[in-house]
Amino acid sequence: MQYIGESLIYGEIGKGLIALSFVAALLSVIGYLNATFQKQTSHPWQLLGRASFAVHGISIFGIFALLIYIIFNHYFEYYYVWFHSSTDMPQQYIFACIWEGQEGSFLLWTFWHVILSLVIIFCSRDWEAPVMSVIMMVQVFLCSMFLGIYIGDFHVGSNPFILLREHPEMFDKPFVQSATYLEGIIKQGGRGLNPLLQNYWMTIHPPTLFLGFAATVIPFAFALSGLITGRVKEWIKPALPYTYFGIMILGTGILMGAAWAYEALSFGGFWAWDPVENASLIPWITLVAAGHVMIITHRTSRALPSSLFLSIITFLLILYSTFLTRSGILGETSVHAFTDLGMSGQLILYMAFFTLLGIGFFIYYRKSIYNKLPEEDILSREFWIFIGVLALSISAIQIIITTSIPVFNKITGLKYAPPVDVIDHYNKWQTPIAAIICLLIAVGQHFKWTHNDAKYLFKKLWLPFLISAIVAAIYQWQIQLPRIQHTLLLFCALFAVAANIDFLITTLKGRIKFGGASIAHVGIGLILIGALVSNAARKTISENRLKVNLGKDFPNTENIMLLKNDTLRMDKYYVSYTGKEKIDKNIFYNIDYFTLEGSKGGFIKKFSLKPFVQLNERMGNVAEPATKHYWNKDIYTFVQYAEIDKDKNNGNDEYNKPTDIKLQKGDTFTTSNSLMILEDIFSQKNEDNNLIIKAQFRAIDINNKEYTLSPEYKIIGMNAYSDDKELKELGLRVSFTGVLPKENKLEFKVAEKKSNSREFIIMKAMIFPHINILWLGCLFMVIGSWVAIIQRIKLNKRITPNHNNHDHKHDKAAPAELIETPAPANI
Amino acid sequence: MKKLYIIGILIIAVSVAFIVNLITNVSTYATFETATNHPGKEYHVIGKVNFNKPLEYDPHANANIFGFYMNDTLGVEKKVLLNKAKPQDFEKSEQVVLIGKMKDDQFIASEILMKCPSKYNNTKELVKQ
Repeated sequence: MQYIGESLIYGEIGKGLIALSFVAALLSVIGYLNATFQKQTSHPWQLLGRASFAVHGISIFGIFALLIYIIFNHYFEYYYVWFHSSTDMPQQYIFACIWEGQEGSFLLWTFWHVILSLVIIFCSRDWEAPVMSVIMMVQVFLCSMFLGIYIGDFHVGSNPFILLREHPEMFDKPFVQSATYLEGIIKQGGRGLNPLLQNYWMTIHPPTLFLGFAATVIPFAFALSGLITGRVKEWIKPALPYTYFGIMILGTGILMGAAWAYEALSFGGFWAWDPVENASLIPWITLVAAGHVMIITHRTSRALPSSLFLSIITFLLILYSTFLTRSGILGETSVHAFTDLGMSGQLILYMAFFTLLGIGFFIYYRKSIYNKLPEEDILSREFWIFIGVLALSISAIQIIITTSIPVFNKITGLKYAPPVDVIDHYNKWQTPIAAIICLLIAVGQHFKWTHNDAKYLFKKLWLPFLISAIVAAIYQWQIQLPRIQHTLLLFCALFAVAANIDFLITTLKGRIKFGGASIAHVGIGLILIGALVSNAARKTISENRLKVNLGKDFPNTENIMLLKNDTLRMDKYYVSYTGKEKIDKNIFYNIDYFTLEGSKGGFIKKFSLKPFVQLNERMGNVAEPATKHYWNKDIYTFVQYAEIDKDKNNGNDEYNKPTDIKLQKGDTFTTSNSLMILEDIFSQKNEDNNLIIKAQFRAIDINNKEYTLSPEYKIIGMNAYSDDKELKELGLRVSFTGVLPKENKLEFKVAEKKSNSREFIIMKAMIFPHINILWLGCLFMVIGSWVAIIQRIKLNKRITPNHNNHDHKHDKAAPAELIETPAPANI
Repeated sequence: MKKLYIIGILIIAVSVAFIVNLITNVSTYATFETATNHPGKEYHVIGKVNFNKPLEYDPHANANIFGFYMNDTLGVEKKVLLNKAKPQDFEKSEQVVLIGKMKDDQFIASEILMKCPSKYNNTKELVKQ
């Protein structure tokens, strides 16, 4: 059949480019691998490696450009375009469409590898061949993730250029039979990017995170190259700037994810130890450990096995992280959900391959990597950095073990679930580890390499110690952290910040370019202070003040009900829900915050927050928070529950359960929309001689309009009958149900229509104190890492690339304290 | 080499401590029956909400209690009292994971994780002609 209107050419080019990128990567591996074992640098094998890399790189750029092109022009005949984009979607989210899908994510990852490879090729001289062969090997595997071919029944990759009508989910649908199907599809305008992901975080978070992921391949590749080429220690120096870069970018990516969760999702915080969050945190921790132990090896030749192992394991953990998030194995433990394209098998295969390669090399070359140096001095910098690396590793191990429970279940068939209070489980272990790390951050830089004098250290550290102890005490008094380990971590983190600032001022004399590490460490200290204080001293202020105590089984009273236009007290604020407004897909709930000022008790409006609920057809309705930022705290609110469906069936004609009410003549009572007055009572006899008592009500609605209503009470013989009267305008029904002579009162039942009940929302509000310290810390970490990278690159450039004669003269520019004593002579 | 051994032993010791601690802390995916047999102990129970029975949420009385009926994976039905506000779009959930304990033949849940079908596989939506 000839289908009308399809532009098949783009798909053909796209598929061709994907195949080309795959084959070129393979050729590049062959070329570079052979070149690795040649003496001369511009050997034909190396040229083959380079040329194939060029083809590969251009293909990846081409695939990327083509995907953007077909998404931009809405070629819905392609499944990927139809699935991830739509005509009514704002154009700035085109990139987000690309990486919403798994194929696009892998493409993004390969894209960053290409960019980083360019840097390697131009800067790494004799390291190019071995390093590039490893990177291109990884690239072969990543490209196969979007290859989309079948080998027998085994599905290799998922191709983003597959046609809608050929997609496995679609090919048997009736529309495929119609030659003009595309017309209908175009009219529908595509399924589109999930509205929840239509925000700027989706544009910046995935690329940053994937650049971080991509950066981890470089220390891995250098470590393996060092082993292959017998330069077991020399690989560290060229790998260091990339490792710092990875620490910086991956750390930023993770914190961006945290900021996204905090700002735009109603998880109630920025970090929840969710398996998906942990999956990227673990390799970051090991990368930080790798970066630090590499400095030890570089400076003192010690701890080489740790440098190699941590560089290798970090990349393997990135693969493991990809497996965790892409295989659907976390389904029951994570609030995040990533689609499973049925390629878990392929991912396991890659993990197995690179684990065997990495760990295999490590074991195979084990003899060449152990050196017999004398034990280091306990007062040396390397010793304490190593303890820090150990603490980081232990922290990572604890997170890995707990996060891997679903994997463990899958393998063994058991049914373990994460601890009931999983956040507490992590915090319990991670808080003391973080405190130890902070102490090491504080003292580490003040140690000199190889040997130190204890007196010197004391002289350097007593002042920051004192300052941080005082600040911690004041802080504790002000915000009252609930547990002793919190206070301890607070002090240690403050000490880390103070000692590093002190180092910058007194030791480096403000020479910022040598202070990258100190600045980054200040950043880490601030991040921990911000995370600790905002979490541990977090206060839920939307407490339910109803005096219904449900006992210890129901401790949660964190949500408050706000009736429209009522004003309720919440912490020091008085809040009032004033109405809602629907804009596009979102319903905004306007909540005014007042404070009571002065003795006269006047309400002053301070601010309004508009948390909203997104009507998301894809995922159900999603509550998104609104936050008021102050310099020292955030007031964070979101709508837990609102009667959204009620708007759909406005003609809700049912009555609520009636309430009993006893009245005398002249009494008044209120309903949700009116004031009712029992004006008169009179009795009469009808023609059958039955007694009829009539109660006459006057109802006044909010617009001062008046109505009357007269329910009756009939006595026929020995029986009494009550006669309902309905007031349709006010949705009110009153029945006269009895006479109470003793009390001199009449009894009525009053029912209101369900549609009468006043609108309300259930809201949660929290105060996150000092959360800005966290974001400030992130900024410091990035700046510090950047300074360190620049300085490292400068140092690397200064010496000749003669790796057999490792030379430390380049460090002369550093201040006296930084100059290392020469490393032991057996290099 | 001596230091290496110490480090190795330390890491192994700490890892064992983690695992032991985890084993004493882990919960299990269980059924209502197991939870009934161990009252007071907290479990993860997976199941499907019975939408034929009433969902009880009266925020005027208490905004933090939500009651419903759930069938666990073996089909056993129990009343669940969730100590939270009613989740948005609860009606759309296909499968839920509850964390809580059994008390007086009711399951008292402190946490809920909802899985909507759409989160996983969206291709079930048909392309309309």
